[in-house]
Amino acid sequence: MKKSLIELKNVSKSFRLESGTDLRVLHSVSLGVGEDEIVAILGPSGSGKSTCLRIMSGLIPASDGEVLCRQQPLDGVNPDVAMVFQSFALFPWETVYTNIALPLASLSLSLSDTKARVKKVIDLVGLEGYEEAYPRELSGGMKQRVGVARALVMERPVLFLDEPFSSLDILTADTLRAEMVKIFLDKKTATRSMVLVTHNIEETVSMARRILIMGTNPGHIRREIINDLPYPRDESTTGFRRMVQQVYASITEALMPDAPAPAEASTALARATPKEPPIETLPNVQMVEMIGLLEAVGDRGGRADIFELAHETGKEFGRTLYLVKAAELLDLVETPKQTVILTDLGGHFVAGDINIRKRMLHELFGLLRIVQMASNLLRKSENLRIPIEELAERVGEWLPTENPHQIVEALVSWGRFAEYFGYNDDAKELYLDVGQETT
Amino acid sequence: MPIKTQFSGRFYPQRFFSLGDALVLLVIATTIFGVVSTGHQWSAAFHPATEIDLSISALPKYTLLSAARGFIAYFFSLSFTLVVGYVGAKSRLGERLILPALDILQTIPVLGFLPGLVLGLISLFPNTNAGLELAAILMMVTSQVWNMTFSFYSSIKSIPEEINEAATMMGLGWFQRLLRLELPFSAVNLAWNSLLSMAGGWFFLTVCEAFTLGSREFRLPGIGSYMAVAIAEGNRSAMAMGVVAMTLLIVTMDFVIWRPILAWAQRYRVEDVPGAVPTEPLVQIVIRDSRIVRFLKLQLRDRQARKRQRILEREKAEGIGFLNKPLEVFASPQARQFYRSKWLGRVAVFFALTALGVVLGWGGVRLFELLSTLSASEWVILGRNAFWTWVRVMLAVVLSTVWAVPVGIWIGTSSRRIRVAQPVIQVLASFPAPMLFPIALFAILRLGFNFDVASVAMMLLGVQWYVLFNSLAGALRIPAELDFALRLMEVPRWERWRTLYLPCVFPSLVTGWVMATGAAWNTSIVAEYMVFKGKLYQTGGLGATLTVAASNADFRMLAASLTIMVAVVIAFNRFVWAPIYREAQTRYRMDA
Repeated sequence: MKKSLIELKNVSKSFRLESGTDLRVLHSVSLGVGEDEIVAILGPSGSGKSTCLRIMSGLIPASDGEVLCRQQPLDGVNPDVAMVFQSFALFPWETVYTNIALPLASLSLSLSDTKARVKKVIDLVGLEGYEEAYPRELSGGMKQRVGVARALVMERPVLFLDEPFSSLDILTADTLRAEMVKIFLDKKTATRSMVLVTHNIEETVSMARRILIMGTNPGHIRREIINDLPYPRDESTTGFRRMVQQVYASITEALMPDAPAPAEASTALARATPKEPPIETLPNVQMVEMIGLLEAVGDRGGRADIFELAHETGKEFGRTLYLVKAAELLDLVETPKQTVILTDLGGHFVAGDINIRKRMLHELFGLLRIVQMASNLLRKSENLRIPIEELAERVGEWLPTENPHQIVEALVSWGRFAEYFGYNDDAKELYLDVGQETT
Repeated sequence: MPIKTQFSGRFYPQRFFSLGDALVLLVIATTIFGVVSTGHQWSAAFHPATEIDLSISALPKYTLLSAARGFIAYFFSLSFTLVVGYVGAKSRLGERLILPALDILQTIPVLGFLPGLVLGLISLFPNTNAGLELAAILMMVTSQVWNMTFSFYSSIKSIPEEINEAATMMGLGWFQRLLRLELPFSAVNLAWNSLLSMAGGWFFLTVCEAFTLGSREFRLPGIGSYMAVAIAEGNRSAMAMGVVAMTLLIVTMDFVIWRPILAWAQRYRVEDVPGAVPTEPLVQIVIRDSRIVRFLKLQLRDRQARKRQRILEREKAEGIGFLNKPLEVFASPQARQFYRSKWLGRVAVFFALTALGVVLGWGGVRLFELLSTLSASEWVILGRNAFWTWVRVMLAVVLSTVWAVPVGIWIGTSSRRIRVAQPVIQVLASFPAPMLFPIALFAILRLGFNFDVASVAMMLLGVQWYVLFNSLAGALRIPAELDFALRLMEVPRWERWRTLYLPCVFPSLVTGWVMATGAAWNTSIVAEYMVFKGKLYQTGGLGATLTVAASNADFRMLAASLTIMVAVVIAFNRFVWAPIYREAQTRYRMDA
């Protein structure tokens, strides 16, 4: 790595939840941003990649660890960084011109200097003729061009891109991506390096020289991949495809290790009773969506490649992985490497009608250890009901490293679908679905 | 068609002297006259009870003087809003102090402030009328300011996180941030709340301009005093003239000030939808037509450009100006760390808090001493009065709900009806109801009812608008698709109301109820005690008790009845409205 511009050393970050407990979103993250490179931070939602970016920009402080800017501890907002936002973050009452000139307001430039700088970036991103337009008159792609121009006009060495193209349509996103790479390569601006946060794998491969893959719970860097493909990168080359495959594989491994991580999140309970199977963490996905995925696998003869599945169902890759994970928990699929195979149960499930499927789900869901623990809790309670907050507290004890509310949410949504639990949102109570109405 | 048509100056008709010019000159002349007579009035020798001339020729001057008071009060309110709302939104500590303080202050009726303000300010300016004028203005401020402050605070708080982050990353100083982000973002809300506040300021005009305190009578020349005297004497033609003058004032202000301001504020609306260009208010067209205004505009633009250049040159010479630095005390995490780490800051905050605590503690002890002089039987009477006022307040709110909800929904479900009704309602709601009280009283006594009934009716006159406005606003949110669906299913009209309209309106109706109950308690001070045609009308209630206590300068009773009123209103908000509001927000949200 060349001269380091920004560095994180063992940075951790926790947020206080409403319930008063601390949720750790980043754990011991170390990374550096050097000169002349595009670094991509890639991860599913909830992996803390945006938090990472905000810590490096000085918008939020780290809970623990060091943040360095040019080898000096960072104090306040990072003076080397300009940022492009997912929602564009334009001021709706300012024109394109004044939006872009806004960061210069605090620089005491003369009127002619300001004009010259704004004009330069307007030419660069292709906004000529739109100077007097208001953001509401622009399409998404043009809006983000304003966002980029507003960042470039600051003439900072590092440009942060926070999911910059995820609210744009595919074609627009492709065009803008190429333009960003061109800005980076042409070196006509002050920008030396870029940091890109995204969950789009093709995007990272087409732009980044280094790809950092983040895992969840709490967010941490799983792996770093060097991507030396020459610019400009062409999606149709085999080199590109191979790199995409490699990134896919790393993510799969990060999110779905083949051997279930043994006692890594070793709970006190798990250690005290070694023979008990581990308590599952339920991925927060919808059952209907998971069934859709199983059907897609069934359509492919009961066996499918996970990348192709993601690609063909048009789902975000991270999301697809969670769906597969859910199906795997219920023993409906197996996942050797990157292949998803329907089990016998799974085949039976896909072939069955809605009643068979519901009955199977009811049985399989009941086999999960976390479900049994929750059911025991319910049976011991007075009227077979417990407040959802109380359940969250208990889940927090069972699985100290997870966000209990997400797991409870999954318990409610899976349990309702499997006609196992009922939930009353007025009383915020979970109860056992004893099935008077279902028979 | 969402096409913006903006003509540049040279397309305007080039008449030598247009209607616009005439209007602009008229406004300028009136303003100058208003300023001069206000100045004259302020510097005049101390003259607590002006003789009010009930002739029609005196009315224009009185109206102008009252309008000037309203504007000065609004200026104070706006300044207070900008400072206090800003501090509340920017400092964690400020927020914790300011929110509860606003909560309490907005429940105190204007008479609660009266004796302290008047006695204090008169002793500050013993020889001129300035003290009395200032007291009247500050009383108007107390009925204008709280909702404005609260709206500014919550507007700043609701700025989207990414826009805030963008401003931080751009290195905007606190002043730039205020000017370019926080003020524009708050503009729409602030404009609407200013309109409401002005109306609130007029509401107690009769009380603010003419009152008794102990054995002394105070009267300032103004339309409020004019009405007060006309009512007390029962001079019907004077009352009618007063109502006409007040209506003219409100209509003129609506036309000349509020509509242009509301239209202008539309520029700062946040919804990112293309196409919706607001219609231009008539007055703006008239003004654009005026050569005088165009001339002034050009002059102003040149001057601004020159000034800007001068500032830039100076800043270049001296380095970055103070306005461009982030405001350390308020800014986000780093700054909080800064003043946590610097012992100086901590000591300053500690002393400020201690001082505040001592003042509040002293006030609390004094209040307690004052209240402890009341005998048990006096408390019983107060409690009974509070109960009866509560009954009247509830009746007024129920009655307004009965008529205003159906009407609000009826108007709100048709864009044609909204267009016609909205400006009319806006003017009607701005008219200070107490000026109509004698008419209501007269009519109700004629019908053979007693003053108790009249006092509920008068409260109703004062508070119904809150319910109407909020039902109308709620009706705007009824999803057209659901309405279509029900019509297609041929669901009968009443069922449609029950299953769709009422649930849709409910959340904003609750807001209307909260505002209406608060306002009804405040209105009780003028609705339960009244001198009409030289005859005193009074009924057992907390408002009457308060009015009598204030005019007798009986601080014991005043403190006791104020304490009860504030306590009841706040308790009712906390324990009745807040749960209903939460329920409404969750159950009847329209995003399911």
